[in-house]
Amino acid sequence: MMSLHRRRRLLGCVCCVAIFPPLGRAEEARGIPPAYAPLVVEPSGGPERAEFDLGPALARAQRENKRLYVYLGASDCPYCRRYENFLRKNAAELGPHFKPWLVVDLHSSLATNAQRLFIRVGGKSQPYTEFQRSIGDERSRMLVYPTVWLFDPQLKPLMQMPAGTGTFETVEEQLEILQLVQ
Amino acid sequence: MPSPMKPLTDCRRRAFMLGVGALPLTPLSSRAAIGGLPSNTGHADLSPEWELLRGRLFGTQPITAGADRVQLIAPLRAAYGASVPVKIVSKLAQTPELHVRRIHLLVDKNPSPLAATLELTPEVGQADFETRLRVDEYSHVRVVSELSNGELHMDSRFVKTSGGCSAPPNRDSPELIGRTIFKLPGPPKMGAPTTADLTVVHPNDTGFELNNVTVMYIPSYFVRTIAVSFAGRKIFDADLDFSLSENPTWRFNFVPHGPGELRAEVVDSKERHFTGSLKVG
Repeated sequence: MMSLHRRRRLLGCVCCVAIFPPLGRAEEARGIPPAYAPLVVEPSGGPERAEFDLGPALARAQRENKRLYVYLGASDCPYCRRYENFLRKNAAELGPHFKPWLVVDLHSSLATNAQRLFIRVGGKSQPYTEFQRSIGDERSRMLVYPTVWLFDPQLKPLMQMPAGTGTFETVEEQLEILQLVQ
Repeated sequence: MPSPMKPLTDCRRRAFMLGVGALPLTPLSSRAAIGGLPSNTGHADLSPEWELLRGRLFGTQPITAGADRVQLIAPLRAAYGASVPVKIVSKLAQTPELHVRRIHLLVDKNPSPLAATLELTPEVGQADFETRLRVDEYSHVRVVSELSNGELHMDSRFVKTSGGCSAPPNRDSPELIGRTIFKLPGPPKMGAPTTADLTVVHPNDTGFELNNVTVMYIPSYFVRTIAVSFAGRKIFDADLDFSLSENPTWRFNFVPHGPGELRAEVVDSKERHFTGSLKVG
């Protein structure tokens, strides 16, 4: 039989979870934080062929005349969590600077390698490497999580981006990226 | 992914030879994927590592900073830290009277900072070079151009790199190591600087990379020297290091005075010799 002491501990735990879920889980939550109003794109297809359709994001960016900040993150990638947590912690300061951008969050996993990842734009679906070559991105040789692309509303790359996000995890450097400093 | 510790390898030995072995070389785990380092560093700023290297390499000789004689072009953030494209542009025609006789390419914060020393002749015509470098962390990349009159000129760029989650490089074709390939991007121009590309298929291993399967460090193994000639006349000699990227590549110029053979003699750190050639004209 459960003792009063154990019941109180259990109740206490339940209350903590119920009352403070964002605090405990915020650091673990995956993806771009809601403060950036991301358009989340889940892959279609199985693990052997994960296809991300950029069509709806592109259409919306054109409607709203916004640039695209496309983020590819993996559910099991610690570097991705680190960048997402950086964005979360600095949302108040960075948020206004993201206003001209439509943030697109592609939900992937590390098992989705370059051969398994496909990008669809309109009627054309391309594997990662071909997609990168088609837009002249130097990161075609290797897929690194996380990956960020910057596009204009016509899906023209605005700047060659680095693999990973480690070089823009300070507010100052994130602003460099948004201001296309090269 | 970053390696957790650093073995004493050729890299360290070469660093010691340059006199920077006493620098606090922190473990790779804290040097890769760094973000958050000072970002307000100027491209032309100096660094403690550079001050030390400068003394070792050039003593008290004055060095003129700026892009008047030589310019270094490199991205603020490259696609990959393991392959940062750099371009050296000389603002001086290569004549017997006055020419660039030596070029030093350095990465301040790399474990072995001197990436390349090139010994040139007037036969290059125009002392412009392009290659790809490994840049281990936020660092200045520098070029020091030594003229035939003894003047030293330097230009520099601050480059930001970091790691991420990625697959290791492909090592499936060891039989191709040493393959030395020339290409001419355009037709040769007799009596004028002609651009050529030289690639040596080689892992150029640093000795710091962990094999994820064996959990052993991959020993350092890299291209040490390349001697390039045309029709038997020296174009340039390169003394190299693993700060050059996998499959070291150089774009350079040479002046063909008639038909001849472009030739490269390559020696790596295992004293293996390789050659490559291309008939021109």
